[in-house]
Amino acid sequence: MKGRGIGKLLFTGCILILSVFLPGCSSSKNNSVTEIEIVQYKPEASNYFKMVEKAFNETHDNIHLTINSPNDAAAILRTRFIREDYPDIVGIGGDIEYSYYVDAQILADVSNYKGLSDIKQVYRDIDESLELVPTDGTFAVPYMANAAGILYNKNLFEQNGWKIPTNWNELITLCEEIKKTDILPFYFGFKDTWSCLAPWNAIAVGLTETDTVKKVNKGETTFTKEYAETAEKYLNLLQYGPDSPFAYSYNDACTAFARGESAMYPIGSYAVPQILSVNPDMNIDSFVMPASDSSDGNTLNSGIDLQFCITEACENKEAAYEVLDFLFADENIQAYADAQNAIPCKEGDFKLASMLDGMKEYIEAGKMADFHDHYYPTEMSADALLQTFLIEKDVNGFLKTFDKNWQRYNRDIIRKVREYEENNSN
Amino acid sequence: MIKRKLNPSLLPMILLILGLSTIAFPLYMTIVIAFKQPSEMSNTISGILSLPKHWSFSNFSEAMEVTDFWRSLGYSLLITLVTVVLSIVIHSMIGYVLGRNKNHNKFYGFVYLFIVSGMFVPFAILMMPLAKETAELGLANWFGVILLYVVFYMPMNIMLYSGYLVNIPLALEEAARVDGASTWRTYWKVIFPLMKPMHATVAVITALAVWNDVMTPLVIMAGSGVNTLPLAQMNFQSQFGTNYNLAFASYLLSLIPILVFYIICQKQIINGVVNGAVK
Amino acid sequence: MKNDRKRTYLLITIPILALFITFNTIPLLRGVVYSFTNFRGFGNYEWVGLRNYIDLFSDARVGSSYIFTIKLAVVTTIVVNVISIILALALNSKIRAKGFFRGAYFLPNVLGALVVGYIFNYFFTYLVPALADMAGIESLNSSILASKNTAWIGIMIVCAWQAVAMNTIIYISGLQTVPEDVYEAGSLDGATGWKKFWKLTFPLIIPFFSINMVLCVKNFLMVFDQIMALTKGGPAQSTESISYLIYNNGMKGGQFGFQSANAVMFFIVIVIISVAQMKFSGKKEEQL
Repeated sequence: MKGRGIGKLLFTGCILILSVFLPGCSSSKNNSVTEIEIVQYKPEASNYFKMVEKAFNETHDNIHLTINSPNDAAAILRTRFIREDYPDIVGIGGDIEYSYYVDAQILADVSNYKGLSDIKQVYRDIDESLELVPTDGTFAVPYMANAAGILYNKNLFEQNGWKIPTNWNELITLCEEIKKTDILPFYFGFKDTWSCLAPWNAIAVGLTETDTVKKVNKGETTFTKEYAETAEKYLNLLQYGPDSPFAYSYNDACTAFARGESAMYPIGSYAVPQILSVNPDMNIDSFVMPASDSSDGNTLNSGIDLQFCITEACENKEAAYEVLDFLFADENIQAYADAQNAIPCKEGDFKLASMLDGMKEYIEAGKMADFHDHYYPTEMSADALLQTFLIEKDVNGFLKTFDKNWQRYNRDIIRKVREYEENNSN
Repeated sequence: MIKRKLNPSLLPMILLILGLSTIAFPLYMTIVIAFKQPSEMSNTISGILSLPKHWSFSNFSEAMEVTDFWRSLGYSLLITLVTVVLSIVIHSMIGYVLGRNKNHNKFYGFVYLFIVSGMFVPFAILMMPLAKETAELGLANWFGVILLYVVFYMPMNIMLYSGYLVNIPLALEEAARVDGASTWRTYWKVIFPLMKPMHATVAVITALAVWNDVMTPLVIMAGSGVNTLPLAQMNFQSQFGTNYNLAFASYLLSLIPILVFYIICQKQIINGVVNGAVK
Repeated sequence: MKNDRKRTYLLITIPILALFITFNTIPLLRGVVYSFTNFRGFGNYEWVGLRNYIDLFSDARVGSSYIFTIKLAVVTTIVVNVISIILALALNSKIRAKGFFRGAYFLPNVLGALVVGYIFNYFFTYLVPALADMAGIESLNSSILASKNTAWIGIMIVCAWQAVAMNTIIYISGLQTVPEDVYEAGSLDGATGWKKFWKLTFPLIIPFFSINMVLCVKNFLMVFDQIMALTKGGPAQSTESISYLIYNNGMKGGQFGFQSANAVMFFIVIVIISVAQMKFSGKKEEQL
């Protein structure tokens, strides 16, 4: 009898639940309204996008906009592409994923989009250079840029009379000085492997040429040669962080910095909202990673943090352009920049967040270079290689592995690049 | 014989109580942390172990909102219940057919071996092709996940059912047949009810496995906006930030349904799981 | 009459077999096909012959994921079985509140591995170091998950915490099949304690021992949730299990083709281990 009781229970349960879910699936949609779906990869900006979604739908009767801001969107986009289930517009970063999508011909050419002419040339150039091999057309409209360097606790600096370092020696001297107090010079959250990349990129742009990666692909140089100094200097910084940086996640590190446990935090401007969520009154500013030995040899590490691409599968490009127009309206750009401390890619007189004061000069002068990891293939897991390197502290071993893995994971890309070179040199 | 035993059950008792603390302690900490506020978290032993100052449910209501708890719970229930019902119906049927025929009919013998050897196929090899295939068939949703579960647990359940058939004498079927009942009718009226103990075992094993599974919905449903309870924990992990109290409230919430179910049906669950493993 | 039976049997078998082939056999074959391509998961791809398989053997990351997974599976299996046998003996002795203990010990088994992983992750990162710090235990005052030498121990603890329950219950049902008079005969021979267990009890529960071995090895070889919740493969890629690597690099990392080859290899390894285990435990039982 017991078994029968359970059976009955299960059955009624099923019917009940089915009756709740099924009607939801069959809601009919009005045909005259165009559906546009955006998947964008910055979950921290989900409030902003909810606001945009609402404002857009209130003012547009002919288009219904849905914006998804999932956590781990990179994986979700990948999975959806595997399933050939494409959103109309994707909001992604200017990195290797973008290069792959262009190569796979998933993205549509948007060169006839009018708003494109308002975008700063620097960022349009970055997108061009991200293409694995030069491809005709424009496939993304850059939205926001970010900058990475060192965030610092302004109050702590003022109280102790510390000065902003402008070259590598000054930075090390400063760290030694901070170390004498009970405050840590740096905090790191290396349990999240990706956060190992932030200082790496910031140091690398100051010490190597912008096109290092492309040169390696063409076979003109090796990373062992190019990255030696970067690796040494990175390792040097490690001693000024917490005892066991691999125990803490990115969130933990943000929290520790927000609580004043460290004076500096080498990370991108994107971390500021997370830090402020812990300590809203914190006085944060930033400066460019002084990787170079000379004070005027530094370069700001800045790349495209968010850009919008229309997929080939989008059926109504005009409607998608209308959505882009709305997103690129000045007041929305300013709202995003304020909320995320981002740097707009659009020309215009936008107010930058005060945390970027220390980098303003470089931004205005265009003394910037893209993140190196934007050119590293994801499957190579350069972030995990870096983490291994920081744990084992073996510079030569790391560089050797890096070169070896590079050749292996980029085999198909390298072949493509060389084929392109051959065809175009004739 | 000399009676020198003081109390023969003392040693095992001490051992068991010590062992129990390794289970009780994590659960206790989970509950305590879930109720505390971030300001109550401290680094002293008494601070870590102490009870929260107020038993407030604010963490829970916030966690419910962040992870869209009721909807995730609904999908978890939906997927689990439908899978269990389909498993019992489909697997018992095919288990019966194969069990009765595999020994004297080459075709059914082959089908039996073919399906049962599916047990060796790890999900890892199926996952990528399935992500593509379910999408091509328009099944990249909760229903697709259910179908996949019905297939994944088929080998195991068929083995259980056809093994159990040995206990059901052929004479019963023959008798029904003599009375003029069709095979179909005989199965539902005679055999199916007799396999009740096995239904319970299959239900428990399948339900536990489905309820706690992460990988299948992760691969098949990611991005469809639908979450199961464990999947929701994973997808909203970053939104907890460093508010571990909120995170723990959410973990506890996702554990509560199965805890309650376990406390109520403890005996059936243990028996079911053991039957499944031992048979 | 006979035809009716045959027709009904076929009508039941064919659709279900078709369902099984659609969602098990066909994807398996497709996985094999993808393993000969450089497919990223989207876009177009080329045939690369055996390149992926050759790469498998020179890929340090794949190699270390096999070593890690097998190490974890073997060690956890041993730990779990030792603890389970002890617990089962204790639970099977004449004690009070047997039902309560049985119920309580089984509890971890019904909880979801992912959420349990998240909970232990916090314990390892904050609670254990804080407690160790106060107790003055130097070696434990930083998270064991942060060091590549100890991270696997953290994963093992979480796996074992959940798996012990199941194995214990199976051993108990084994012990209950041991008749009382075996013990009586044993005590006449003067066998006590350890010797009694090893000589008398253990041989009788060998079938249950092999069930536990098979269960453990199979589950731990496919470990995924715990890795996802505790370490995400880190630190320094030291805890990447095979399933995790296939998911991480294949589904989201653009190595769809290469990881398909890895999955095919994993499948072969699982089959070999399972067959070996069945042969071995079959022989063991025959001997008795």
